[in-house]
Amino acid sequence: MSDAHEANGNGGDADNGHEPAANGALYGILAEYDTPGELVEAARKVRDAGYTEFDCYSPFPVHGIDPAMGIKRTILPLVIFIGGFSGAVGGLLLQWYCNAYSWGWNISGKPTWSIPANIPIAYECAILLAVLSSFFGVWAFNKLPQVWHPLFRSDRFARVTDDGFFIGIEKADSRFDADKTKALLEGAGSIATENIYLDPDPENKKMPKWIMGIIIASTAFALVPFAIAAKARNSKSSEPHIHIFPDMDFQPKFKSDQANDLFPDGRENRGEITNTVARGWLEDDEVFFHGIEHSTGDAGDSWTTGFPKQYPDSPALPPDLRGAPFAVDMKLLERGQNRFNIYCTPCHGYDAHGQGMVPTRVRAGGGNWDARNLVDPKGPVVQMPNGQLFNTVSNGYAKMMGYAAQIPAWDRWAIVAYVRTLERAQNASHEDIPATEQGSIK
Amino acid sequence: MSLTKNLHPDEKYKAGKLGTTMTLVGAAIVASMGILSIILGAAHGDHFKRFLYAYVIGWSFAVSLSIGMLWLVLLHHLTRSRWSTVVRRIAEAMTGAFPILWLAGLGFILPVLFGYQDLYFWANPAAKADPVIAHKLSWLSPSFFALRYVIYGAVFIAISSYFAKKSREQDESGDPKISVTLRRAAGPGMILFAFTTYLTWLDILMTLAPRWYSTIFGVTFWGSGNIGAFAALGLIVLWLQRNGRLVHSINEEHYHDIGKWMFAFTFFWAYTAFSQFMLQWYGNMPDETNWYKYRMFGDWQWVTIAMLVGYWAFPFVFLMSRWTKRIVPSLVFFAVWQLVFHWLDMYWNAMPQYDWTTISHGSTTVNAGPLAGPIAMHHVGFTPVDITCWLVFIGFFLMGTGRGLKGNLIPVKDPTLGLSLAHEQL
Amino acid sequence: MSEATAEAHGEGNQGKAREHFRNITRDVAWVAEAPKPHPLWLVALGLAIVLFAIGIWSIYVVVTRGIGVWGNSNMVCWAWDITNFVWWIGIGHAGTLISAVLYLTRQQWRVSINRSAEAMTIFAVMAAGIFPLLHTGRPWFAWWMIPLPNDMGSMWPQFRSPLMWDVFAVTTYLTTSLLFWYMGMVPDLATFRDRWAMRGDKVRAMIYGVLALGWRGSARQWHRYERAYLILAGLATPLVFSVHSVVSFDFATSQLPGWHTTIFPPYFVAGAIYSGFAMVMTLLLPLRYLFNLKHIITQAHIQAMCRVMMATGMMVTLAYGSEFFIAWYSGNEFEQFTFLSRVFGPFWWTWWWMLFLGNVVTPHFFWSNWVRNNNYVIWILCILVNIGMWGERFVIIAVSLARSFLPSAWAYYHPTRYDVGVFVGTIGMFLMFFLLFFRFAPVIAISEVKGASDEAHAGKGGH
Repeated sequence: MSDAHEANGNGGDADNGHEPAANGALYGILAEYDTPGELVEAARKVRDAGYTEFDCYSPFPVHGIDPAMGIKRTILPLVIFIGGFSGAVGGLLLQWYCNAYSWGWNISGKPTWSIPANIPIAYECAILLAVLSSFFGVWAFNKLPQVWHPLFRSDRFARVTDDGFFIGIEKADSRFDADKTKALLEGAGSIATENIYLDPDPENKKMPKWIMGIIIASTAFALVPFAIAAKARNSKSSEPHIHIFPDMDFQPKFKSDQANDLFPDGRENRGEITNTVARGWLEDDEVFFHGIEHSTGDAGDSWTTGFPKQYPDSPALPPDLRGAPFAVDMKLLERGQNRFNIYCTPCHGYDAHGQGMVPTRVRAGGGNWDARNLVDPKGPVVQMPNGQLFNTVSNGYAKMMGYAAQIPAWDRWAIVAYVRTLERAQNASHEDIPATEQGSIK
Repeated sequence: MSLTKNLHPDEKYKAGKLGTTMTLVGAAIVASMGILSIILGAAHGDHFKRFLYAYVIGWSFAVSLSIGMLWLVLLHHLTRSRWSTVVRRIAEAMTGAFPILWLAGLGFILPVLFGYQDLYFWANPAAKADPVIAHKLSWLSPSFFALRYVIYGAVFIAISSYFAKKSREQDESGDPKISVTLRRAAGPGMILFAFTTYLTWLDILMTLAPRWYSTIFGVTFWGSGNIGAFAALGLIVLWLQRNGRLVHSINEEHYHDIGKWMFAFTFFWAYTAFSQFMLQWYGNMPDETNWYKYRMFGDWQWVTIAMLVGYWAFPFVFLMSRWTKRIVPSLVFFAVWQLVFHWLDMYWNAMPQYDWTTISHGSTTVNAGPLAGPIAMHHVGFTPVDITCWLVFIGFFLMGTGRGLKGNLIPVKDPTLGLSLAHEQL
Repeated sequence: MSEATAEAHGEGNQGKAREHFRNITRDVAWVAEAPKPHPLWLVALGLAIVLFAIGIWSIYVVVTRGIGVWGNSNMVCWAWDITNFVWWIGIGHAGTLISAVLYLTRQQWRVSINRSAEAMTIFAVMAAGIFPLLHTGRPWFAWWMIPLPNDMGSMWPQFRSPLMWDVFAVTTYLTTSLLFWYMGMVPDLATFRDRWAMRGDKVRAMIYGVLALGWRGSARQWHRYERAYLILAGLATPLVFSVHSVVSFDFATSQLPGWHTTIFPPYFVAGAIYSGFAMVMTLLLPLRYLFNLKHIITQAHIQAMCRVMMATGMMVTLAYGSEFFIAWYSGNEFEQFTFLSRVFGPFWWTWWWMLFLGNVVTPHFFWSNWVRNNNYVIWILCILVNIGMWGERFVIIAVSLARSFLPSAWAYYHPTRYDVGVFVGTIGMFLMFFLLFFRFAPVIAISEVKGASDEAHAGKGGH
């Protein structure tokens, strides 16, 4: 005990390079114990003596110290639960606001708000907020960071992070009495006790001015971008947007239909070069590509009435058709039927009476419109030469648009052949049925 | 913390007649409820189809409890756990239910083996018409199925009886080497256990919907079973304490750990069940979403919602708290609650497959099996036989567990017993 | 106060328990206090910096010229980059497992390795983050993934995309790991502060003092600190599960054969822990020699880690088996083809030599007690596991993409020097940070080691 008494009052008298500092008012008494077990016993005695403003200090959490000191369970778990719960709700709200409310994302027609796909992020938000509240909560409840504390003025106390076990009773406690308290601590088996004094110079408790300066300056600096953003949002400007990352917004390239000084005519578009035809686009077979028969007589050009004699030997055609003879056979008719059913039936219908799905819908909507009846024996189509029919398919007529872009010329001829077949079939008489079948149809 | 304690001198750790009582109670339940179930099943007039569905659900419920406790025993040895030493003998008793449960399971295995066609659709000749099912009929043949059933049972019974026997041997000899032997055996035991558990749930429950498949199914069921297993463990421990046994050895610290495991597996089940649902829902492929379609819409959606709230959200929020796990009445409430919902989980997985749909193509009608046709035709159709069959298997489980509750209820000479007795939460 | 008087002050207290605590403090602090680092440490650091420099150069090329310099193609659009991302994230998971899951399950052997494992987590997640960032092609737009009000009206991230889930999961994970690591380190930083103060080194004392936040080991503070630490561990556990599950959702929510399977989340988590433990051992086995920590990171701890690797390795094997079985069982011919193509297709060698050898065969070596005591063999096996787990991700990602539904879309994948460069660079960065951490921070959780020792109960009578 004798060396312990020598240590009394020497708290500020350290030879660690500081000026020996005078002591301020008394803060409390610090007692050191040899083992964790003795610390727990001493803490129990201090608590039983009725002290409340005291604390134990140890290099690791000592088992059994909480009940010995009578520490109440912290409410930190509740704070963390609230943090986690608000994280989950906040995460869901964030996603709802962004993807369902502010701007609904239509992805393959699926609902904009579908909870299962929003759960992972809500879950992560819950964890994140719970973690943040536990991390900041523990320091807030522990009143840390507090780099300055009277206990740090004791050299002995530096061992608390190594192998020292201490009890400190503060003067603020109503039962504090310098002698009695010390006697209590020593009676509990301390190996040393010492008085702890506050720093006499209140300036030492404050943060150095230069650190405060740096904090204030950097805080102010950090606010600058927000200030700029706030100003920009609340003022009008005729200047164009500032593009921090121009990226693909402005690209060094020419776009069509714009002015350009580079060329004498001042236009960006260069157009086709005169007297040239792109490879495969020389449609020199007038009958095949336009349905027009040239004649040198007075009649001039006229629509062809038959079919082309052969396919032109042009690279625009599939290889097996190039130069092949044009035969009106079942293969051609089946091809024609196939194409007709795809492109023509929506308006003209499968039987070509002009009552396909489009007119049907028009009627369903209260309108009244039929497409052309292609097989009406008194109608214009039946009378048309093949070439004109081909031209109508290619370039359209009245409401009908041209199909040259979708249907290649050889398929258009197949359609013409199929339409002729339909006309014949729809206007057939009983005699047209083969004799062997006539009996079955009346 | 390496604090130890000695067994309290006044501790009653001999089972006495308690095990026999439990077996008798179980047998009484089995006898009365069994007869009632058969009558109710016959009255259903569907060739015992409803009865057998309820039977499979009850069987799965009881077996999952034993599987969960076998896992605890294996984990205990593998990780040299401390807290669980005091409850290990009770867990071993619960794994003692395997033989009787496997015998009881013959109640649905034998019909399938001898040509019963209405329980598993793959055993029905109509299944051959479906190319997806026809592809796997080599795996799902009644005889191979029955053979696998026997193998799974043999594995479970072998592992559980080995660990229970060795543990009792230590009571006699006090040889600490037995602990080392068991720890060595727990490694391979765990591997065998994992493969067997995975395949058991695949075979018994997943093949009820023979078109559907999910690789996580066995894992989800193992997790769900452990919720029930720890709940049952807590209840049996409490029952023993009410009868004056182990009152000094098992305290709220141990209940707290049982509660923690219940909480952990409630979370784990939610995790695996959500993973399975989310991936199939997001992938949106008809052969997978079909299984969920009949559960998310129509009658079954209410059961699904009940599961979500009752099996996960409600217990999850409350079991998070320390006090819920330490105050015995509240732990008991949640143990019973989770056992009921654990049964509902089995029900939810199996029973939607009960309605088989006949689809007509012109003049021919085809039996399309489970999970087919309009959703409106599928009903929960809850019947009393569902409950009585469940009670039958609670009876079987008690019979099997009672058999194991004999002699010492605590491994008195286990070297870690002192640590376990002194166990304290952080 | 000079060093001599500081020691004398300690020696005045002759308690045996205190001597034990003092020894722990000294042995750990020695790593950071030794005036000169070990020459091998300098060599390793130099090597790491060279690798890191290669990475910086590769990243420079990738950013300025675009990701076309990588070997990725139209079909194999995810390859080395995403493989590396998943691999690094997985390695990080062992750190959280050791620090959180083993804490919750009261496995006390964790205290000697948890600090370095947590540090490993942070550096691994940092390395992982580089890859998706670069893969966006325009990393300077990464902030678009944060839902910030912007000058384009209502332009928000698409939250239903698994890639956005990744952003949230990985950033949450990095934040949590960082806070958990730092919080655990505060009492030990206070130890460093006091040791340097006793030696009169004011600069170091001030740096560590600021970092230690004025920690003074008060019982009331310890009480809240322990609760918070337990809850953080409780939060980190579901988080670590969710992070790799979310990573697996990147693949499993798609419809690609070999990606779309429900076992992916737990299977990825098990694989992550497996590879993470391999990495912990790869790093710690040499470093415990170098820094003389053999009596704190003991052979028993290494054995325990071997056992964890065995367990997780076999979980991964079970998942492989279930994938193959269900691929057959499902009757889906695309699934079946994908799995056959992994084993016998053009990338067969990645399956056999990386995945099969590293992940299926390797864990079974640990059955042998001789292996578990032979650190050279363990180290080689751990390298095999590292390679194997990298290979597993490569097989899942690149090989599945190289053989998708249409034969006309089949492709092969060759990495370029920039793929290799960025990967090597992240290894260098990871090693560099880890070596620096080992030199300047408390590498062992000093207070936890003390609390876990028998001496922590010294002086307690008949309690």
